[in-house]
Amino acid sequence: MNGRIALGVGAGVGLAILYAFLLAPLVVVVLASLSGGEVLAFPPQGFSLKWFARFFGHESFRNALWLSLQVAVVSTVVVSVIATMAALFQRGLSQRLAGPFRTLLLMPLLMPEILTAIGLLFFLYQIGLGNTYFGLQIGHVVITLPFAYLSIASALDQVDPALEEASASLGAGYGRTAFKVMLPLIKPGIITGGLFTFIVSFDMFAMSFLLKMVGGNTLPLALFDYLKYDFDPTAAAAATVSILFALGVVALVEKLVGLRRAF
Amino acid sequence: MTPSPARRWRLAILGAPALFLLVVFFVLPYGEIVMMSFRTASSSAPYGDGLTLANYARMFADGHYLGILGETVLVGTSITAICLLISFPIALHLSSVGDRWHTLFYACVVSPLLVGVLVRNFGWMIILSFNGPINQILLALGLIERPVRLLFTVEVVVLALVHVFIPFMVLPITTALRNIPPSLYEASRSLGAGRFSTFWRVTLPLSFPGVQSGVILVFVLAISAYVTPVLLGGQFVVLMPTVIVQQLIAAFAWPFGAVLAMILTLSTLSCVLVFAFATRGLVRRAAIGRQP
Repeated sequence: MNGRIALGVGAGVGLAILYAFLLAPLVVVVLASLSGGEVLAFPPQGFSLKWFARFFGHESFRNALWLSLQVAVVSTVVVSVIATMAALFQRGLSQRLAGPFRTLLLMPLLMPEILTAIGLLFFLYQIGLGNTYFGLQIGHVVITLPFAYLSIASALDQVDPALEEASASLGAGYGRTAFKVMLPLIKPGIITGGLFTFIVSFDMFAMSFLLKMVGGNTLPLALFDYLKYDFDPTAAAAATVSILFALGVVALVEKLVGLRRAF
Repeated sequence: MTPSPARRWRLAILGAPALFLLVVFFVLPYGEIVMMSFRTASSSAPYGDGLTLANYARMFADGHYLGILGETVLVGTSITAICLLISFPIALHLSSVGDRWHTLFYACVVSPLLVGVLVRNFGWMIILSFNGPINQILLALGLIERPVRLLFTVEVVVLALVHVFIPFMVLPITTALRNIPPSLYEASRSLGAGRFSTFWRVTLPLSFPGVQSGVILVFVLAISAYVTPVLLGGQFVVLMPTVIVQQLIAAFAWPFGAVLAMILTLSTLSCVLVFAFATRGLVRRAAIGRQP
């Protein structure tokens, strides 16, 4: 019996270490950003919010945050619409065509982001859209589309076809059925997909790095540039801001749909 | 039942935006990588007008790039192996934990995924820096006399990438474990098997489909990781993605960069295919075992 308890305790300690390992870098970043000292150190010396003030006072960080938010919001809106349409499209396809269509839609997720970025770098340059906002935005839309699609398509899979038939037999046209029956039913999937799109776009690095528009950094790029020359808590504040966005999204998903249904 | 023309039109309109987007901004760009690898170099533009095989010849003639490719595959393999070792216990725990705590532990695993790779790497930079906690602990224990340089080594790059990819390994394995019917555990126990023997002969073999997808996913991601080796490896860790980006951004030698990208992709693909082929028996066995 003692052996079993020891085994249980051992396993518990091991798991605690693994979970600590998972969360350690995030906790360290957040604590370091709250430091009252002048250098980036852990454990932090004292408490202050001055590094956040410095972050928001830093013009290139502010512009980068603004551009990141803009790209992420546009991606979210565009991708949610396209992915919802694509999911409804797939539902209407025959089995034989639905499989390949699904694979095509998931390809940007299956291929390494950096490779897709390289292809887009070449392609956008050739059609005269190299280093433009449009190119950057397209890159973000392509990468995030599968995330939204996965979540919306799985919500759609749960919808009983009988509901569609009932709506049709009661005289509703296709559009009315789609907007009054289907959309409300798959709303949780659309919300989850949209929020994921936002956060994936907000954090995207490789794609933004290669398709960087002239004079426009996104927040991860600005942080990367900053880290090359400076190593102070302003960087930690920048990182904490993006962690806060991620937490905000998780909280929203939990509140609106519930985390368990989301994954 | 043949669909009416109106219905067909409706479907086409629904599918058109996604198809257009992916064909134009995904399929064509990939084609362009292939094309670019055959273009001539140019000193005034990223690439010239003609077509040539010289870029491939240059790559194979120069052992330097093949060496970096080998190193990249090696690092990718170690990351995948370590990731699997760490992720399996987490997946085992996650698949067995009760409903009440499930959300909390799930959030622990998934939340790093929602924070950018850059931020997670930055956390390791702080932890491993000269005046970071690891150096302080080692100093306090008297193991070292002055802070040592921990950053900018291949080991740190491996550590940080393992950390980044754990969720990608945990999630498919958890799904596979959750799909094992509880009746199999009961059967195993009632046939007199102990916990370890049940683990070896039921849990492990039946989780293999999840392990296989996790391994493939992490390997592909590890081979193509760019930001972590640059940030945590500095100039001391040179892997393929770094070299490719250097060719594209700094040297402006797009055709040669495209050749390196092609070689990296083809090598990754062959590794994945060999792995999938070698383990197909294990996946089939799991599928048979799962049948009622």
